[in-house]
Amino acid sequence: MKKTSRQLQKEQTREFLLKTAYEYFSEHGILNTRMSDIAQAAGVSHGTVFLHFATQEALVTEVVETYCGKIALRTHELAKSCTSIQEVLSAHLEGIQEYEPFYTRLVIENRLLPPAARDAWINIQSAVSFHFGRVLERTRGEKQVAALPVSALFNLWIGLIHHYLANGDLFAPDGKVLERHGDTLIEYYMKLIHYETEEEKHGREAHESQKGEMLLRAPWREAGRSAF
Amino acid sequence: MKTCISCGMPMTKPSDFPLEDESKDYCVYCARPDGSMQSYSEKLAGMTGFLIRTQGLDEEAARQLAARNMAKLPAWKTTAAD
Repeated sequence: MKKTSRQLQKEQTREFLLKTAYEYFSEHGILNTRMSDIAQAAGVSHGTVFLHFATQEALVTEVVETYCGKIALRTHELAKSCTSIQEVLSAHLEGIQEYEPFYTRLVIENRLLPPAARDAWINIQSAVSFHFGRVLERTRGEKQVAALPVSALFNLWIGLIHHYLANGDLFAPDGKVLERHGDTLIEYYMKLIHYETEEEKHGREAHESQKGEMLLRAPWREAGRSAF
Repeated sequence: MKTCISCGMPMTKPSDFPLEDESKDYCVYCARPDGSMQSYSEKLAGMTGFLIRTQGLDEEAARQLAARNMAKLPAWKTTAAD
C-alpha cells in the first residue's frame, strides 16, 4: 500500500530527530541530554519529540540501537575479507573512526544506558570479536601469536583502545584519538602479542647481553656520574 | 541484502549461506552440517559459547545476552516469548 504524504512526513521527522539526537549526544553526552535539548536542536516543539518518542529512554534506546547497528555493520563489512589480526584491527579502527565522538560517549556511558541500548553496544564488540576470533584460529597453527585464549587477546585490545578513547582529552585534545594514535596502538599491540620463536629469542638475548656489556663500559659509569 | 533470520548476520556472498544455497534465509553459522537450520536451544548454546570464547563473559550473563538478542530476530520472536 502506498504511503500517504502525511505518513512519509512523519517518517522523515522521526529520521531527522534520530539524526539530530545522534549529533547532540556525540557532542554533549547521552545521559546529560534532555528531550528539550533535542527539540531545540531540531527546531521543533517539545511535543513533536514526545509524539515520536514517548520517553527519554525510548529515544536513547532507538538512537543507540540505530547507530550501533550501523557501526557493527560497517565494521563487519570492513573486516570480513581480512586474513590477518593486523588487518582486523585496522578494519575495527576504521569502522569506529567514522563515528568516533558518538562511540567515545558509548565507551564512557554504556553501563548507565537502558538495557536494550547496552545490548546494542555489546553487539558491536561481538561483530569485531567474531572476525578477531576467526582470523586468530586460522593463524594459530603458524605460531605467530602468543598462546593465550581468544578472549584474553581480544579484551587486551579492546581495553587498550577504550582507555585511549575514554581519556581522549588527555591523549588527543583535538578529539581525533584514532587518527593520532591508531596506527601506533596497532603496532604496539602486535608486538605485545607476538609469539617469540626460539630463533628470535636467542637473537633478542644476544642483543640484550651485548647492550648490557656496553652499558657497563659506558664512560659516564666509569666517571661515576650515574644517577642510578 | 539478506540478513540471517536466526542471528542477524548480513549475508552478502555465497559462502555466507548453508551449502552455498542462496535461497536460504539463515546463514552458514546457523545451519547444521546437513544444511538444515539449528534449533532454538542449539543456537542459544552456540551464541552463548561464542560470547564466552571471544569476549570472556560470565556464562549466565552471556546466556541472557544471547537470549535477549535472539528474541529480536524473526526466527525466534515467537519461541522466545513462549
